[in-house]
Amino acid sequence: MNPDFTHPASPWPHRWAIALACATFPLLWVGGLVTTTDSGMAVPDWPSTYGYNLFLYPWTTWLTGPWDLFVEHGHRLLGAMVGMMTIVLLALLWRRDDRRWMRWLGGAALALVIFQGVLGGMRVRFDERTLAMLHGCTGPLFFAVTVAMVVFTSRCWWLRESSAVPPSAGYIRRLALVTCILVYLQIVVGAVLRHVPVAAEPGAFVLAVRFHLFLAAAVTLHVALLAWFVLSHARTIKPLGGLAIILAGLVAVQLALGAGTWIVKFSVPAWVSDWISTGSVAVQDGGWLQTHIITAHVAAGSLLLATSLALALFGQRLLPFASAARDAVSRRWEAAV
Amino acid sequence: MPYRTLAKFVGIFAIVALTGCGQTEPPAFRLDMVKVTENEISPKHQQAIADILGAMFGTPDAPFAMPETGLDERKLKMAAGPVWSNEAGDKHGLYRRHCAHCHGISGDGQGPTAAILNPYPRDYRRGLFKFKGTFTAAQPTDEDLRRIILNGVLATAMPAFALLPPDEVDALVEYVKYLSMRGQMETALENYVFDEGLEPDAPLDPATDAELKDIIVNDLLAGVMEGWNTVVEQVVVPTEEGIPPTDRSAEEITASVNAGRELFFGAKANCVKCHGPTGLGDGQQDNYDDWSAVTVKFEDDTRALADEIKGLKQDLKKKTGDERAAAEKELKTKVAQLAVRNELIAHMLTPRRAIPRNLRDGTYRGGRRDIDLFWRVFAGIPGMGMPATGPSAPGGQGTLTEQEMWQIVDYIQSLPFEPISEPQVRRVNVRTVN
Ligand code: HEC
Ligand code: HEC
Repeated sequence: MNPDFTHPASPWPHRWAIALACATFPLLWVGGLVTTTDSGMAVPDWPSTYGYNLFLYPWTTWLTGPWDLFVEHGHRLLGAMVGMMTIVLLALLWRRDDRRWMRWLGGAALALVIFQGVLGGMRVRFDERTLAMLHGCTGPLFFAVTVAMVVFTSRCWWLRESSAVPPSAGYIRRLALVTCILVYLQIVVGAVLRHVPVAAEPGAFVLAVRFHLFLAAAVTLHVALLAWFVLSHARTIKPLGGLAIILAGLVAVQLALGAGTWIVKFSVPAWVSDWISTGSVAVQDGGWLQTHIITAHVAAGSLLLATSLALALFGQRLLPFASAARDAVSRRWEAAV
Repeated sequence: MPYRTLAKFVGIFAIVALTGCGQTEPPAFRLDMVKVTENEISPKHQQAIADILGAMFGTPDAPFAMPETGLDERKLKMAAGPVWSNEAGDKHGLYRRHCAHCHGISGDGQGPTAAILNPYPRDYRRGLFKFKGTFTAAQPTDEDLRRIILNGVLATAMPAFALLPPDEVDALVEYVKYLSMRGQMETALENYVFDEGLEPDAPLDPATDAELKDIIVNDLLAGVMEGWNTVVEQVVVPTEEGIPPTDRSAEEITASVNAGRELFFGAKANCVKCHGPTGLGDGQQDNYDDWSAVTVKFEDDTRALADEIKGLKQDLKKKTGDERAAAEKELKTKVAQLAVRNELIAHMLTPRRAIPRNLRDGTYRGGRRDIDLFWRVFAGIPGMGMPATGPSAPGGQGTLTEQEMWQIVDYIQSLPFEPISEPQVRRVNVRTVN
């Protein structure tokens, strides 16, 4: 038998992986906040903070200083913490998980988080927006890796009860994977929108906006189909049903946040205000609502990525390939889509 | 071994990431290529104009204020350049942080997000602003610009920057004026080259040509500065007697609203022409705004040029010898011009019509105070075709008296509450008026 299928020796890698993922999400949120508030250059040096070692920067100055300094330095501290937690996870995996590939995954996660840290540093050192964009794309990727490690160390991953093969198993597996890739692509396009160079042509931005809207439609459609199939055919297989519901809910929230982002940034589009009166407040630059709706939209994108990845991985693991005949139903669906 | 492969992979990715993108060039001011093309300014003169502007105004990273402009260079430096801030919280690069993605580095209203917005962000380069408290053709005061930046423009993408500290707003006001003056100076230079009919490779360098330098400073720049320097004399201050008292009775207000309605639909003010018999803004809707009109003209001229080229090609067949060679040469330059024009058109913002406001909505972009509406009626909305009812310059004669303007203001403020059927009775008048 494949050693993968033995029960995990220790619950600690799983617990720590959860802690790591839970620490990474706020890090992403604050990272989004750095861009929303344009705080990236509030601390011009790196890895030091105004000449101080990162951890020795006087915390009173940090807490009582300017808002953008608070955000940027806070982001660095959180990042350092996540980096150290990744080291601990790697150690735990090395000692308590006998799957070689899992250990390597832990190593890859550490490499990725270091790379991400350096990217962030270089973005500051060179004041280079392209690097900021790359930094914004690697963050969600690292978050996805931490969530994958939560999945790989979870009980559900090990408790592979072979229930009856649902009729659309193959379809669900493929759909989940495609959804996950689409979501990541959407995150990349989102990062392009946020880090568009000031000297760019308006036409390029329009193109990116259109692509972002198109992908939003594509992701919504995929998630709707995926949720439909999982809930009607594989609901009983834990944790697929729950993940599908969360995923569908997240997409709904994310669409609302996306529309909200447009409104708090650019005001209600003229074609809408032709139909409904749109109140009497101008867009508030840097206002509480603007800052947090936009940042929430960015963060929810990562959450969507994480959920769709978890669903895809569990799907691969828990849904064996269905027989060709049974899969025909879903194939027809696929052709229709 | 796998360690090393991994390290190598990360290293290569990092190197590609860091060097592949490289460091992007600092943003530069762009010339107004539409004007340059219209005036057929040679590449040499384009460079010369850019150099002259550079000497007069500096670059987006290092602005320079000639004493003649009266601009405060310290404020400009705060607003210009890349975004950064220090430990004390002093912010730099304010324009790039808050404005450039809409209004563009050059203030041409063509920042990256411009095309998705309606209305488009303001192109500062013509010195033309909509919502101000000065006579119709005058520039805005600092106070006007400050008000727009603090309040934003309601129902458009122009945000309110009320959360910025006053010194940062001051710096931005200064920078908007700077970009405006720079843009107007650019146009003046481009018109000068055109008007002088300079040969494509004639020298254009004020450093070696004292006469040219004199023209640039004392003629062109002085012309631009006149509007900005005299703005204090151009402020519209309503006379005390005209301002309706705050303690009016309901009857007085009704009488004023009725008089305002009469004027709104009457021949003298003729607001109905654009805002329509119901005030829904459904009157004349086919005018282009002044910024778009430039684009439309450029597109029309380009179409005419394409037709001309067709004609030249036809004629060419009939020609022989030297005549043919000359015609071929002409054709070639025209074809090249057409290519340049078409390339430009592909990157221009789609022209937009000046759609009159729905006055029943009660949304006033330029501000909702009585004085804001008075200013709109008095001076019109520049750039949007909405005419002034007051005089065009101090001491002049307007179409309406101030009292009549205040009556219209009363009527506008009552319009959102007026039943929609009532004014339609007056449709008959409207037709005769038009
Ligand atoms: C999200 C896009 C956006 C941003 C950011 C933005 N603007 Fe605007 N701005 C606009 C639009 C759109 C208009 C045109 C409004 C109209 O025509 O009614 C405008 C108009 C203006 C006007 C002209 C108002 C008038 O009376 O004609 C000024 C001045 C101005 N903006 C200054 C600024 C400054 C200074 C900043 C940065 C602090 C800034 N804007 C940031 C979109 C933006
Ligand atoms: C030639 C057409 C035209 C005429 C005539 C005209 N307007 Fe307008 N008006 C417009 C346009 C176009 C706008 C929208 C401007 C914009 O969106 O920037 C407008 C906007 C307005 C606004 C909204 C201002 C704001 O702050 O949002 C008011 C109020 C107004 N007009 C009142 C009047 C009154 C009163 C008259 C008659 C004295 C009048 N208009 C005549 C074209 C016209």
